[in-house]
Amino acid sequence: MPRYVVERTFPDGLGIPVTEQGALKCLSVVDRNADVGVTWVHSYVSEDKNKTFCIYDGPHPEAIRRAAERNGLPVDRITKVSVLDPYFYR
Amino acid sequence: MELLERGPYLVQLNALLRQAASGQGSLILVTGEAGIGKTALIHQFGRSAEKEARVLIGACDPLSTPRPLGPLVDIASVLDGELADLLDRETPRDRIFRSFLSSLASARRPTVVVFEDLHWADQATLDLILFLSRRLTSVPALVVATYRDDEVGPRHPLQIVLGDLATGATVHRLMLPRLSADAVRALAGGSGIDPAMLYQQTSGNPFFIAEVLASGGAGIPASVRDAVLARVARLSEPARSVLEAAGVIGTTVDPSLLSAVTGPVLEPLEECVAMGMLRGDGAALSFRHELVRDTILDMLLPPRRTELHRAVLASVRAGGVGVDRLATVAHHAEEAGDGEAVLEFAPAAAVRAASLGAHREAAAQYARALQFADRLPPDVHADLLERRGYQCFLTAQFTEAIELSERALELRRVTGDRRKEGDSLRGLARVLWCTGRISESEKRAKEAVALLEDMPPGPELAMSYSTMSSVFMNAENADGTQTWGTRALELARRLNYTEVVVHTLNNLGTMELLRGKPEGLHKLEESQDLASQAGLDEHVGRAYIHLGWVATRTRRFDLADRLTAGLEFCGDRDLYLWRIWLMAYRSRQELDQGRWTEAAESAGFVVQYAHGESMSRVPALCVLALLRARRGDPDFWPLLDKALELAGPTHQLQHLAPVAAARAEAAWLQGNSEGIESETRIAFELAKTAGDPWTLGELACWRWRARIREQIPAGAAEPFALQIAGRWPEAAELWGRIGCPYETAAALLDGDEPAMRRAHAQFERLGARAATAIAARRMRELGIRDIPRGPRPSTRAQPAQLTTRELEVLQLITEGFRNAEIARRLSVSNKTVDHHVSSILGKLGVRSRTEAARQAVKLLSAVRQA
Repeated sequence: MPRYVVERTFPDGLGIPVTEQGALKCLSVVDRNADVGVTWVHSYVSEDKNKTFCIYDGPHPEAIRRAAERNGLPVDRITKVSVLDPYFYR
Repeated sequence: MELLERGPYLVQLNALLRQAASGQGSLILVTGEAGIGKTALIHQFGRSAEKEARVLIGACDPLSTPRPLGPLVDIASVLDGELADLLDRETPRDRIFRSFLSSLASARRPTVVVFEDLHWADQATLDLILFLSRRLTSVPALVVATYRDDEVGPRHPLQIVLGDLATGATVHRLMLPRLSADAVRALAGGSGIDPAMLYQQTSGNPFFIAEVLASGGAGIPASVRDAVLARVARLSEPARSVLEAAGVIGTTVDPSLLSAVTGPVLEPLEECVAMGMLRGDGAALSFRHELVRDTILDMLLPPRRTELHRAVLASVRAGGVGVDRLATVAHHAEEAGDGEAVLEFAPAAAVRAASLGAHREAAAQYARALQFADRLPPDVHADLLERRGYQCFLTAQFTEAIELSERALELRRVTGDRRKEGDSLRGLARVLWCTGRISESEKRAKEAVALLEDMPPGPELAMSYSTMSSVFMNAENADGTQTWGTRALELARRLNYTEVVVHTLNNLGTMELLRGKPEGLHKLEESQDLASQAGLDEHVGRAYIHLGWVATRTRRFDLADRLTAGLEFCGDRDLYLWRIWLMAYRSRQELDQGRWTEAAESAGFVVQYAHGESMSRVPALCVLALLRARRGDPDFWPLLDKALELAGPTHQLQHLAPVAAARAEAAWLQGNSEGIESETRIAFELAKTAGDPWTLGELACWRWRARIREQIPAGAAEPFALQIAGRWPEAAELWGRIGCPYETAAALLDGDEPAMRRAHAQFERLGARAATAIAARRMRELGIRDIPRGPRPSTRAQPAQLTTRELEVLQLITEGFRNAEIARRLSVSNKTVDHHVSSILGKLGVRSRTEAARQAVKLLSAVRQA
């Protein structure tokens, strides 16, 4: 399955507290993703919490967008990527 | 065995039942592997529900070719007589479905309808599930459907239904997990079996655990099958023999049939029930689990199996075979190796399946008969081949359909029945067209005319004329369409062949509409009305498809609700191919109207589920590719390459023009306009030859944007002609009036600073990242300052997951408009508005418009702030 980096902007900052509530929020995202066949692998969040770079596995860009819509998440840009590993060449 | 770890699921089912009782029904899909306890859960739920609801249960058969509407036949046998009557008689399927729905809607108590084992379902049953799911919102019924999700691969017929259901607001899912180690420990208590070992060996599959515990042995068998075998080994010889016969008869066993096959059965049967292999089920007996029956059948030696099927066949035939048993009898006949019986029952079973819209099953029954067809006279053999070919065509098995048609044609030549040969040629022409083999199709159509003209005129000749007229229509040759159409119409009217009149009027009307002659619509409507009166559903569907073609080509969005009506019409009937075409055209309209989320759903559906060679994929691939390209998403070229691969060999404008325009746009968005000349050349020439205003204008406009300076042929559609003439304000204004927001922005891009700013904002609103970037760059190049930077994505994250159109409807609800008024304002049908409203209520989780309006005030103010 292709892998994508999904860039998102949160003008008011991403508000997921490191609490049970935050964990539930993340899990509900995972559930809704499963409905549309995409997997959230993990994300990088900018220091100011205004931008996230999310790694997703999914069948096609439309599925990534559908998942975002169901989760009420914005999408700036979807880029298809593959892994480049610095230790691969040794 | 008590149900462990299923409490929350029962709670969920009961909650849905209460909701159904209040008049808001829904569909719930219960899934999990074989033996996970789907049936056990449903039966437990059913028993508790019986106090307040009527519970109806129907199961799909594990036959290689299941009975059409098997579960509904089961249900009808316990309901009042009307449904059973309809099923017995040759009733149009539509009426059967509606009768069942109205019995659900009008019942005094709520109903729980259970469809078990959908992974084995026939096509008609799957259609019934879809039919019900679209109408449950206001019916006091809870429909529960179970299936083994691990047996539903990507090509499984159930997949397309699941794809359809995915968009429904009233569909719930319940995925049953395996039992935990704790639950297994509780079950194993007192058995002397090591719970940890039991858990490890069974992975927590409840059926497997039950088998192990019931077999009472010391060790744990390696597989479910071994566990069942261990239990079977403890049966007496007569009991085992009876169990084998029961297995051959089926999942549900009529004791009198069983004794007719094996002699007196009372004692052995009691033993089977006592040992938990069978259970009493009213007057009948049934296997405790299909896995038990599977294991028994696997164990049978082939000669014994054949012998049993022969005995079952003889007993069943002696008692007379009703229509709902034809499929079962055909199955026994084949398993018994009885060719005569197969030829007697399989074609009859096929006719029955086809009449209920189970075309996949009909095709399979004909295939069953064809195994023995060598002994038939060639004309009867050819009939069978053609009938299977037609069922294959209806189920998009085109390669198979073409091959069958060619074999039938050979036989027709042998028998010398030239009338039928001509008709076969015409049928072949149609299938060839569907897979894009246009020149072969045309050749066959001409051969048909030549052959049939040598004989006294009949319906075949009239239809072959009309087919020629449609050949020219598809090639967008107006004169040819007219000439052949007139000839067909003259003959058909003289000899009163309604179907030919319907077909021809459609061709003529479509051609006129394509050329912008409004009177074409009257012809098309007349054709559709005639078809509908004569019960010619396929032709009603064909009229809808051509309306879809014309409406998207000529950007007539006022015809959009015909598309919606067509999708409903074809969805309720068995017009699968027709529906896919309509869905493809709808995706194009949604794209053009700026409803991109919907467009992605519709086009994605077609690309995923249309047959690989079907030309209906072409428009959908273009839509999906354009969405990706405009949004700046990856992977649009592979879609466009596939579209070109399909469309290229057809050499037809209708297939090539959208591909050429989409490829031109994709190149333009990537800043590579040099490619545009070659991408558009062939289609542009075709458009000039055909003199079609819209494709001519669109392609000319792309070539003009690529700075190809050439004489613009007369007759280009107005908005394009205005654009090329440098009259961008008028072009933008016209696109706005037509209702195409993206095209409006694209037109403004050629304008002055305020126009460019509007274009930029419009692209951004649509989420057209690639075009937004182009607008920004142009403005920067012109030294324009304060260009809004970067996307403001919060505007695009729709609140409560409402689509753009749903937000529009919601806005109008808050302003107090009724559905009919909303429909008028948005120029869509009342029904479409109904759908939007129920979807909005579902998404907002509210019951009424007033509640929705209250929520909406908050939501809409959030949208405006963002």
